Amino acid sequence: MKSPLNPPIAGVRLSMLAHLYWIRLRSHVVQELLAGSGIAVGVALVLGVLVANASLTGSAGELVHQLVGSARLQLAARSQDGFEERLLDSSRRLPGVAAAAPVLREDIAVVGPHGRQSVQLLGVTTAVVRLGGFATRELGLGGFRFTGGLILPASVASAVGAELGGRVTVLAFGSAHTTTVAAVVKSPPFGVLASSPVAVTLLSSAQRMSGLPGRLTQVLIEPQQGADSTVAAELRTLAAGRVSVASADQELSLLDEAVKPNDESTSLFAAISVMVGFLLALNAMLLTVPERRRFVADLRLQGYDWRQIIALLTFQAAVLGVVASAVGVVAGDMLSHAFLHRIPAYLTTAFPVGTQQTLHIGTILIAVGCGVLATMLASLSPALDLRPGRPTDAVLRDRSGGGEVLAHRTPLRLALLSTALLVLITAAVLLAPGLTIVGGMALALAALLAIPSLFACVARALRWVGERVPSSSLIVVVSELRAVTTRSVALAGIAALAVYGSVAIGGARADLLRGLDANFAEYLDTAQLWVTTGGNDLTTNAFNAEGATTAIARASGVASVRVYQGGFLDVGPRRMWIIARPPGDASPIPASQLLHGNLEHATRLLHEGGWAAVSQGFAAEHHLALGSSFTLPTPSGDARFGVAAITTNLGWSPGAVIMSSLDYSRLWQTTQPSALEVNLRPGISEAAGRRAVLRAIGRRPGLGIQTFGERRAQYAADSRQGLYALSEIATLLLIAAALAVASALSAAIWQRRARLASLKIHGYDTAQLWRALLLESIIVLGIGCAVGAVAGLYGHALASRWLRLQTGFPAPFQIELGRVVLTLALLAAIALAVIALPGLAAARAPARASLQE
Amino acid sequence: MSALELREVVKHYSSGIETVKAVDGISLTVTGGEFVALYGPSGSGKTTLLMLAAGLVTPDSGSVSFDGRVLGELSERDSALYRRRDVGFIFQAFHLMPHTSALDNATIKLTGDGCTLREGRRRALPWLERVGLGARVEHTPEQLSMGERQRIAIARALANEPRLLLADEPTGNLDSKRGREILELMRDICHERGIPGLLVTHDLDATTLVDRVHTLRDGHMADGMDPELAATSS
Repeated sequence: MKSPLNPPIAGVRLSMLAHLYWIRLRSHVVQELLAGSGIAVGVALVLGVLVANASLTGSAGELVHQLVGSARLQLAARSQDGFEERLLDSSRRLPGVAAAAPVLREDIAVVGPHGRQSVQLLGVTTAVVRLGGFATRELGLGGFRFTGGLILPASVASAVGAELGGRVTVLAFGSAHTTTVAAVVKSPPFGVLASSPVAVTLLSSAQRMSGLPGRLTQVLIEPQQGADSTVAAELRTLAAGRVSVASADQELSLLDEAVKPNDESTSLFAAISVMVGFLLALNAMLLTVPERRRFVADLRLQGYDWRQIIALLTFQAAVLGVVASAVGVVAGDMLSHAFLHRIPAYLTTAFPVGTQQTLHIGTILIAVGCGVLATMLASLSPALDLRPGRPTDAVLRDRSGGGEVLAHRTPLRLALLSTALLVLITAAVLLAPGLTIVGGMALALAALLAIPSLFACVARALRWVGERVPSSSLIVVVSELRAVTTRSVALAGIAALAVYGSVAIGGARADLLRGLDANFAEYLDTAQLWVTTGGNDLTTNAFNAEGATTAIARASGVASVRVYQGGFLDVGPRRMWIIARPPGDASPIPASQLLHGNLEHATRLLHEGGWAAVSQGFAAEHHLALGSSFTLPTPSGDARFGVAAITTNLGWSPGAVIMSSLDYSRLWQTTQPSALEVNLRPGISEAAGRRAVLRAIGRRPGLGIQTFGERRAQYAADSRQGLYALSEIATLLLIAAALAVASALSAAIWQRRARLASLKIHGYDTAQLWRALLLESIIVLGIGCAVGAVAGLYGHALASRWLRLQTGFPAPFQIELGRVVLTLALLAAIALAVIALPGLAAARAPARASLQE
Repeated sequence: MSALELREVVKHYSSGIETVKAVDGISLTVTGGEFVALYGPSGSGKTTLLMLAAGLVTPDSGSVSFDGRVLGELSERDSALYRRRDVGFIFQAFHLMPHTSALDNATIKLTGDGCTLREGRRRALPWLERVGLGARVEHTPEQLSMGERQRIAIARALANEPRLLLADEPTGNLDSKRGREILELMRDICHERGIPGLLVTHDLDATTLVDRVHTLRDGHMADGMDPELAATSS
């Protein structure tokens, strides 16, 4: 009888495969749940990491696409001051241009009844609606009839407490403007716009609030079909080297470059998560290996061939993998919402990165694929019996319940393989630092391979001690650990991976924070008081000083006021941080960040003009060395600079350029400051100085005054917030792994009740057995933790080196033993606390339990 | 009519220290409709001979053939097919699937051959009834006595209507009355369906119910009748 719903697979009906699995599920529900939990944990961690990563670029990407619509090209300003509006008319008149829409984008702050939020202001006209972008097409149609005021996304409105029709204050260009909330957009129908840090207003309003009448920062252009290259050439002529011509969605590649280090480091975590999930599943599977081997052998005795056995094993693994992965996907989604949804503050200063979680089908498929693959691999061991000539193996041989015993020489062979892998990793990473992430994954594998040999050594040492120390518990442990079993190795492996990940990533994170703290301390140390637009970490928002400089200079207690300038400049794929230091700054280059060059000489060159300090990544990309020259696309045209020094990236991953503010003023054609650096006379306290400066500038809600200490604390908080996801993942991984080890150990202990009970026949009591179980657990955990800690410290060194060399971040390597010990203690404490109870219950098994069948 | 034929079969096991001559040059033919017993003490090579007949192990020399096919020349897959379709094997250790009902245990060969579970159950149920387990088909092996487990194994061996019946101490866990009934059932099936049957036993009573008895000792077919056997026969 043929049924499309019940097809034979290798000769066995699908319903029979399902029936056999149902039988298995009924009889081994705990092991299946354990295996499923392991897979689910791994998948959840992988998905959480991937979603967090994808969401960073995904929300900004969606917003850009929703804004630009059918535009494929753009004229893009090279500074915050933008370019003249007449370029819009000129570009519209170019042959081949179907549509052109003006945009003014400025960083502002919206202040409402409940607080303040930094957003990007988008000034648009109805022309942008014609481009058909999802985010803007509703603005001129139907319900909105947008005629003025401010359109706020629901997330921003909620954060500042703004309501439809209410009044909010916009802080822009150092000034405050009160305006009406014309609309609050929600998702749907506005999609990602509703959760993005933006505010939309009419172009004329944006120009007025930003103090940039008649100026634009973008013209979005839709060329006629097939006219892209012609239009791009015409636009370049029109731009005359003062405005950039780029693809309409260029911002996406700039953002990709900015988040690359974050993506790569979290990828390492994702890989470790997969390994942890796989090992937990493997553990759970190993608990059932003897039983499943017998099952496979029995089927073979009854005439099932290898294809049918493989079909059966695959079916069971696939069902378990898919179901567990589905649970993992749900848990991972919750995880990403609960722990990993914070957007790094440093990114929002340069990109409109929203809080919307982006869950692509591809992300789900990757996570589920990892889960199913891990389950399949973990289920493979009974399939080894399918080798020719072994149909009766499992039936005729007695198997222990502790997983396969590794052959005598296997630990040594694996140790040699581990050493070889270690040498290979070291050589590869030394020669090509770009391979560090792959090296980090290989290092985790090398750590796992080292565990069996350590087990063998510990077992020998235990035997030696057991022969000399009169301890009944120790004798039990020696007996249990007499051979290296795959299950013991897998248990220790989970602990090792968790410790490895936490120590390596935690160490690198600590190095990075130390480096960033040192960098920003030196960066800010040029002044005692900083006057800025507030909330902008990289001091890139210019403002209208309107005589404030002179007034502050005259204030009592003020020794000097200097104009600091800076902003972002898109150079190729990098959105570079431009730092323009006034001539009065004694040390424009943070000494601790100097990688190549002489500090005094470089400072002198910068003050002379025409020279700049560039970050390492940019220098390497353009093959720059000390003394060589490079070109920056400035608002006044391409400008050549000499390389005075090469620095770290100063905490901004795409890179930084430090130059004199005199050069900046000339090339950017602006005298507006991004900050005023104020030094006080000797004996004047910062509090008194702040009061004096406040009096001098009068009531300017758009400006804020911070002391050196306050601003440094703000940078430190933002640095930590920016690395929040890494810290969260490291902690979650550690806790998940601790619970995983504990549950796997507990299950293994529970399965040994009969053997423990047999010891009671010989007079052992509950306390002796419980002590033995805890001692055994401590040894297994100890081996895993030791291997993980050593590998983690090496991984930490590699990760810090990668941060320095490959990403250009300041990350001086330093071992923090206290943190390593804390990691080990946390893992051991969680695991032992969980094991204690089932251990006691197993130890209390009555002696008669060993006599039961 | 199908027949099982062993010619000068040798099977030795080496443990590295010593070599055990489990089967050492045995020739035996069991023709269709014959129910033959191999009698001998533990370690005489009886079970190995059955394993050879089932294609579970291959001889070091000599040949084992069924229905003209040499088992040693079968591929791994054909060997599995032979066990699934042609052989009904009653193992001494039962090899039942734990936590699985008696009925589902009895269907396992049928479902492995593409039967739906429903069809398999329909075909296996009469055999369970015939071995006296009709009222306990939903019980799992863990819920049954050793004798009842033995009977599930027998029903399973017969459910696929085999063309060769092999039995390794099938009555070892049964009381004498039930054991006698089971052996009579197996003999009747061999006679009714004209298939060869080979029984391995060290139970002298069992040998009285078969058509022919051979004695095995140290891997050899013993010349002449075993004294114990002769006494029983007389």
